[in-house]
Amino acid sequence: MNAAPTSGDLPYVDTKPQGSADFYYATNATFRFLLRRLGREGWIGYLQELGRGYFSPVNERWRAGGLPAVARYWRAFFAAEPGSRVEVRELPDRVEVCVHECPAIRHLRAGGREIVREYCQHCYFLGAARAEAAGLTMRLQGGNGVCRHTFATAAAALPPQALGDIKEATS
Amino acid sequence: MIGCYDFCGHYEWTFGWLERVGGHALVRDYWNEAINHDSQRHARDLIRNEGIPGMLKYWGHTLLEESPDLGFHISHREDVFRIDFHDCPSRGFLLRNGLNNYRDYCDHCMGWTGPMLQEAGYVIDHEHNHRGQCWWEMRPATATGGHAPAGSVAGQKDVRLRPDWPRDPAKLDRYCKASDPDAKLGAASPA
Repeated sequence: MNAAPTSGDLPYVDTKPQGSADFYYATNATFRFLLRRLGREGWIGYLQELGRGYFSPVNERWRAGGLPAVARYWRAFFAAEPGSRVEVRELPDRVEVCVHECPAIRHLRAGGREIVREYCQHCYFLGAARAEAAGLTMRLQGGNGVCRHTFATAAAALPPQALGDIKEATS
Repeated sequence: MIGCYDFCGHYEWTFGWLERVGGHALVRDYWNEAINHDSQRHARDLIRNEGIPGMLKYWGHTLLEESPDLGFHISHREDVFRIDFHDCPSRGFLLRNGLNNYRDYCDHCMGWTGPMLQEAGYVIDHEHNHRGQCWWEMRPATATGGHAPAGSVAGQKDVRLRPDWPRDPAKLDRYCKASDPDAKLGAASPA
């Protein structure tokens, strides 16, 4: 097992090298609760505020460090997520996070959980809010266990996000 | 992506967000509906079906995953299941990282386990000091009386025997034969 991440890699660090995958159950349940009680707009608002608020230390590092900081973060992030298979590519105008196996979808399925169909959209609404705070843009393609997150500078001139490019999650 | 590595951080942030959006009632509903009835349904099923042996299976597994350095101690008998947290992995994560978006993170444990255990026929004695130390005793709902004396269930592992455990009850949040997160006997301010 890897050593515990250091504060240089992630904004919040624990004493153990990886998280407990059962917490993905709580994230999925949180989405279901918010969608049922506050509706889709409420859920999106939650993700955007979480991205701008809780994740502000990450956003500030991205703004200061640019794409290399983005790449470092995602490598450290997925190293601490049990069961993930992810490749992070650094290109001149973007970072591509290629998720070959999403640890959350994998664990939710293994645990027999009903996954909220909007689950994969959370990565877009959360990621876009974080990217915007850092002066970047974020797009997401794929989903349901395999996807690609793109974090880019303005020079990349990425087309707008089509939500139809994000697959619904299935249990 | 929302990860599991720093789960306790965004979980705590979520309590504060929910309270701002929908007040205390929405936070309570979240703990009961999302955590007790959905996320932790495996715990619910185990404990409803097996009672104290189910508690041992659930907490024995989950605490070992969350706290591999054993910052906790489990004691159990036929009539009581007890956990002493000497270094809560969850509260400890927040303290180490300076995260504080909700007035008392520790309330979430009673928020979801209280209703869960009530549905299974148990009540809870509990104290927490907001610094990562607390204790829990779960007994059948027919149990009466106050807190059991320190050391009577967990021996020397009883967190109340620590030299840094507050002697002043006003510095603790306390519950007696409870199942509701708002049933505090004393409400100390979180540090």
